[in-house]
Amino acid sequence: MKYLERRVIHAVLLLVGVSVLCFLFSDLAPGSFFDEMKLNPQISAETVAALRSQYGLDQPLPVRYGRWVKSAVRGDWGYSLAYHSPVRSLLLVRARNTLLLTALATLLAWLIAIPVGVWIASRSGKWEDRLTLAGTSVLLSVPELVVTLGLLYWVVRTHVLPAGGMISVGFDELGLWGKFRDLAAHLAIPVGVLVLAGLPVLLRHVRASMVEVLKSPFMQAARGHGIGRFRLLFRYALPAAANPLISLLGLSVAGLLSGSLLVEVIMGWPGLGPLLLEASVSRDIYVVVGAVMASTFFMILGSFLADVMLVVIDPRVRVE
Amino acid sequence: MHRLGCVATLLSALSAFGVAGFASSTPQSPQPGEEVQVTDGQVGRYGGALVVAQRSEPKTLNPVTAADAPSREVLGRLTADLIHINRASQKTEPALAKSWTLTKDGRIFTVKLRHGLRFSDGQPFDADDVVFSFQLYLDDKINSPQRDLLVVGGKPIGVEKVDRYSVRFTLAQPYAAAERIFDSLAIMPRHLLESSYQQGKFTQAWTLTTPPAEIAGMGPFRLKAYVPGQKVVLERNPYYWKADRNQNRLPYLDELVFLFVGNEDAQLIRFQAGETDIISRLSAENYAVLSREAGSRGIELFDLGPSLEYNFLVFNLNDLGSKKLASTAAKQAWFQDLKFRRAISAAVDREAIVRLVYAGRGAPLWGNVSPSNKFWVDQTLPHPPRSIDQARELLKSAGFSWRDDGALLDPRGQPVEFSIITSSSNTQRTKMATIIQDDLSKLGMNVHVVPLEFRAVLDRVFQTFDYEAAIMGLGGGDADPNPEMNVWLSNGGTHLWHLGESKPATGWEAQIDQLMQKQMVQLKYKERKHLYDQVQEIVAANLPYVFLATPDIVVGAKKNLANFKPAILDPNTLWNVEELYYPSGAHAGAKP
Amino acid sequence: MMPRPKIVAALIFLLSLHLAILFAGFVAPQDPAVQNRDFPFVPPTRVHFVDAGGHMRLRPFIYQWVARADGVYEYQESREREYPLRLFVPGPRYRIAGLFASHTHLFGVDAPAQIFVAGTDNYGRDQFSRILFGGQISLAAGLLATATSLFFGLSIGCAAGFYGKWIDESAMRLAELFLVLPWLYVLLAVRSCLPLHLSPAQTFLLLVAVIGTIGWARPARLVRGVVLSAKNRKYVLASRGYGASDSHLLRRHVLPHTYGILLTQAAVLVPQYVIAEVTLSFFGLGLGEPMPSWGNLLASLQQYHVLVSYWWMFTPAIALILVTIGYLGVANAFHQQLQSDSI
Repeated sequence: MKYLERRVIHAVLLLVGVSVLCFLFSDLAPGSFFDEMKLNPQISAETVAALRSQYGLDQPLPVRYGRWVKSAVRGDWGYSLAYHSPVRSLLLVRARNTLLLTALATLLAWLIAIPVGVWIASRSGKWEDRLTLAGTSVLLSVPELVVTLGLLYWVVRTHVLPAGGMISVGFDELGLWGKFRDLAAHLAIPVGVLVLAGLPVLLRHVRASMVEVLKSPFMQAARGHGIGRFRLLFRYALPAAANPLISLLGLSVAGLLSGSLLVEVIMGWPGLGPLLLEASVSRDIYVVVGAVMASTFFMILGSFLADVMLVVIDPRVRVE
Repeated sequence: MHRLGCVATLLSALSAFGVAGFASSTPQSPQPGEEVQVTDGQVGRYGGALVVAQRSEPKTLNPVTAADAPSREVLGRLTADLIHINRASQKTEPALAKSWTLTKDGRIFTVKLRHGLRFSDGQPFDADDVVFSFQLYLDDKINSPQRDLLVVGGKPIGVEKVDRYSVRFTLAQPYAAAERIFDSLAIMPRHLLESSYQQGKFTQAWTLTTPPAEIAGMGPFRLKAYVPGQKVVLERNPYYWKADRNQNRLPYLDELVFLFVGNEDAQLIRFQAGETDIISRLSAENYAVLSREAGSRGIELFDLGPSLEYNFLVFNLNDLGSKKLASTAAKQAWFQDLKFRRAISAAVDREAIVRLVYAGRGAPLWGNVSPSNKFWVDQTLPHPPRSIDQARELLKSAGFSWRDDGALLDPRGQPVEFSIITSSSNTQRTKMATIIQDDLSKLGMNVHVVPLEFRAVLDRVFQTFDYEAAIMGLGGGDADPNPEMNVWLSNGGTHLWHLGESKPATGWEAQIDQLMQKQMVQLKYKERKHLYDQVQEIVAANLPYVFLATPDIVVGAKKNLANFKPAILDPNTLWNVEELYYPSGAHAGAKP
Repeated sequence: MMPRPKIVAALIFLLSLHLAILFAGFVAPQDPAVQNRDFPFVPPTRVHFVDAGGHMRLRPFIYQWVARADGVYEYQESREREYPLRLFVPGPRYRIAGLFASHTHLFGVDAPAQIFVAGTDNYGRDQFSRILFGGQISLAAGLLATATSLFFGLSIGCAAGFYGKWIDESAMRLAELFLVLPWLYVLLAVRSCLPLHLSPAQTFLLLVAVIGTIGWARPARLVRGVVLSAKNRKYVLASRGYGASDSHLLRRHVLPHTYGILLTQAAVLVPQYVIAEVTLSFFGLGLGEPMPSWGNLLASLQQYHVLVSYWWMFTPAIALILVTIGYLGVANAFHQQLQSDSI
C-alpha cells in the first residue's frame, strides 16, 4: 500500500512539474495569440492590446499559472482563446478520437506480435525466423512519415479507401452496419501505419525474451517431460518471458495519446494531434498545456499499470 | 412538384421530433407585406447538399468576436448585412436595407430597412435589432475586431433608431464610400442575445457547442449541427429574404456542409475524390494536376485572374534607438538608401517568380494595386523590366563596389550581407525568398533566407524589430483604398517598414499621409482616383516595399453545379450560395 | 574479441554510404544550389544504350530534356544530339570537408546538357546532388545529436548508478520528466528565440543539439542499469577492498561495460535523430533554404501536386532508408556480439 501511495504522490508531482515547464516554454516562445490580428489593417493596435488584457495575457507568469491551476481544479482545465470555451470539452472529443485510433492499433499490434513472436522464437535460426527478422528490419528502416505518404499516394491514385478524415459526409444517414463499414474504411490506413510502425519492435522483443526463456533449464526439463509443444510455448514459456513485455505494454499504454501525431496530421484524423499542432502554432497556450498534461497523464498511467501488473504477474518481483 | 410536396411533408413530420417550436426548413412562399429582394439570376430547382472543405475548424459562431477566416466563412452564410458589396461587380447593393440616403456633407446616413422580414427562427426583424447589433460592435468591453471599422475621424459612428424600419448613422466626418463599411457587419437578433449582453456574458455566447435553437440570423442558412473536429452542417433558412424571379424563396440548396480537413492538400484530395463540391484558392500547380483529370471527374476549373493581394519585400527602416540591435542598425544605412532599394527592385526576376511560384498563374507587381482592381489601378505606372546591369549602375552610383571574388562592398568597404525572414508555413513566400536570394547573389549580395514560424515573424516585424528584411503579403480584402489606410498612413498600425512614427519620417511619407486623408473624405470617385493614383506613384518612386507578384484566384467546382459565378473578392465561391443549385436530380457528392 | 563477419559487413556498407555522402561534391554531377529556372520538375534523365537508328552502343548516352509547349512542367527528350556519359568529367568546383578543392566529378555529360539522375525540384535543382549534399547535413545532425545524448546519458547514468542513493533518485526522476516533455513546443520556442545572424546551418545544428539534450534519458537509464550490475561484481568489490579510488574503479572496471551499450545505442539513435530532422522539416521547423537536407527535400511531398505528379521527389526516402538499414544492421550485429560476449 505504501508503494502505491508513493507512486501516486510521485505522479502528481510529475504532473505539476510538467505544467510548470509548459508554461515556462510558452513564455519563451515569442508572439501571443492575438498577434495575427496585427497584420489586419482594419484592426487597430489598441483593440489588439485590449483583447490581450481582456484574456489576461498581459499578466505576469505566476498570476497566469495560478489562474490556470484554479481553472484546472474546477474542471475546465483552462480556457481556449481561439474557441472561447473551456479546454476540457475540446480535449475530451479529440482524445476520444485519438484513443479510438491508437487503442485499436496497439491491440492489433500486440495480437499479432505475441503469437508470431512466440512461434518464430520456437523456430529460432530457421528460415521462418530469418524471414520475419528481415521483414521487421525492413519495416524498421522505413520511417513512419514515408509509409504514410506512400499509402496516401496509393489511396489518392486508386480511390480504394477514403483519403482522410474519420467519417464520410453522409455518415448520419447510414444504417448501423453502414456506419461500421464507413468508420472501418477510414480507420484502415491510419491504424495500418501505426501497426506497421509499432509491430517490428514488439515482435523482436517478444522473440528475444522468448528465446531467452526457451534456453533455460526448466524449459529443457519440461520438454523432457514430454509436454506438448503448444502448451509448452504458451503455458510455460510465455508467462516466464512476460517480465520485459509488461514494461513494453506499459510503454504502449503510455504512448496512446501522443504516438499518433504525425499520422493524424497527414491523414486528417480529427484527434489530439492536429489540435495540439494548431494550438501550439497559434499560441493558444491553455489548449497546449491541457493536451500535454493529458498525454503526460497517460504516460504516468502506463508506467504505473506496468508496475502493478508486474507485481501481480511475476512472483519473483514480489519476493524481492 | 408533387414529389417535393411529399418530401416537404415528410421533412416537417420528421423535424417535429426536433426542438419544439423550430420550424422545418422547407421554404415558405413570400408573405404579403414582406419586402423580399428579387434576384435576377437563373431560376433553379430545390434540393441537394453542397459540401465544402475548410483548412481548419471555425472557432466560434459569434459574428461579433470571430476573427479567424474559417469562422467568418461559415458565419457569412448564417448572417446578413445592411448593405452588401456584390462580389462580382465590386459595387454596393441593397441587402437588409432597401435604400439609403446620404446628406450632402456626407456625414448623416439614413437607412430604410425592408419590411416584414424574419430571422431564421421566425422572429421579426426591425430597427431595434440593427441598433442592438451596432451596440455590440462598438462596445469597448467586447473589443470586436470589427469595431475599428466603425471609428471614423477618431469617433465611433453614432447609431439611432428613427422609426420601426429606419436607422440613422452619424459620422464624425465625411467618409468616402461610407456604405462599404456595412458589408459583412452581421445583424444580430436582439431577442436571443440581449439578456446575455446585459449580464456581461456576450463574449461567451454562440460558441460552437451552443444548441442550434439558440442561434438565429438573417443569412441564407441556419445552423443544423456541429460535429467537433469534423464538420458543421447548415440547413436552409426557411425565412430567407431573397427570392428568384418566380417568387421561389431562396436558397435552393437544402444543406451546406463544411468539412474540416487540415490543409490545402487535404482539401484538394477530397475535391479530387469527389467528396467535396467546390474548392477555392487552388494553387497553380494543383490547378495543372487537376485540369488533367477535370474531364473524367466531372470537375470544372476557373482561373479568375490576379487576386487583390500583394506580396512584397520590406526592409527594416524602424527606429532602433532603444533596442540593442547594433548589426541591424548598421545595415539600415544600406536599406535607407533609395538607390539600394531601386537596385534590388531592378534585380528581382518577377517573371521567374510568377513562373516558378505560381506556375504562370499570377501577375508581377510594381505597385500595391493589382491589375485586376480595375477601378483603382493606376494604368500609367511604369513596369520596368528586370535589368542586372541597371542594378549594378545604381549601386555603383551609390558608392558600392565589388571585391575580386564578386562580393558587393558598401561605401565603407563592408560586404553586403543580410537575411530575409518569411513565414515557414507559407511555401510561396519562402520560394520567392529563395529566388530573390539567387537574383541578389548576381549583384554580389550574400542573402540568407530564414523561414520562421509565422508568429515569430509577426513578433519580429511588429514588436521587437529584430529583422533585416521580410517577405510579407497584404491586401485582398476589398478593392476600395480605404481599408488600406493603416498601411499607408505614417502612424498606421500596418505601416510595416517604419512602425510607430508619431510624425512622418520623410517628406514623401508626409505627402502620402495628406493624399490618403484627402481621398478618405472625397466623395467623388474621379477625384479620389486621381488622389490615389498619386499615392501609387509616390510609392513606386520611393519603394518602401519592393513589390513582387500576386497569384491568380483559381477555383473549381463540380460541373453539375449551376449558377456558379466565382469572383475575385472573398469569399470567392460562396458569395452567392443562395443561388447555387443542382439542375440534375441527385447531388453527386459524398460517397456513402 | 574478434569482430564477427556480420559486423564487418554492416560497417563496410555504412562506411561506403558515408563516404559517398562525404565526397558528395565528387559523386554529384551538379552544384546543389544552382537553379535551372527553365527546368523545374524535370523527370530523371533516361539513360539509353540503343540509339535512334536501333544500333547498340557500348557507352550509354542521354538526350536533353526540352520543355513541351503545351502544359506546365511537361518535358520531352530532344533527339537532336546524343550526349555520351563520361567518367571523371570537369564540372562545378567543390570542396571536400572544406579542405580539399577540385572540379572533377565522378560522372557527367558535356555541356550544355545536364544529367538529372533523380530529376529536379521546383527550382530546377538537381535532386540527386541535393540528396548527396543533404545527406551531409542530415547525417551530421544525427551524429551530433547522438553524441550529445550519449554524453549526457553516460555522465548522468554513471553517476546515478555508481553513487546511488539520492543522486540516483533525483537523476531518475529528472529522466522521467524529460521523457515526458512537450518536444514540439520546446523546439518551437527555441527556434524562434535564435538570433538572426546565425546561418541556417548553424541554427539547425543548435536545434539538433537541443533534441540530443532532451534525449539523454533513455541512454542514461540503460547505462545506469549496466553500472549498477557492474558495481556489484565480485572483482569490483575486491578492487575497492584493495583501496582503489572511485575514479579508478569507474575508468578501469565499470566504464568498459558501458561501451557495448553505448555503441548499440549510438547505432539506434543516429537513424532516430535523422528521422527526427525529417519530422521537424515536415512541421516547417527544419533547415532553411537553400541548404538541402533530406527533411526539407521530402517536405515538398506534402503538396498534392508534387505527391501525385512527380514520383522522383520520393527518392530522398531511399537514401534515408539505406542509412537506417545500415545503422540498424550495425546495431543488430553489435547487439548479438554483446550477447555472445556476455555468455
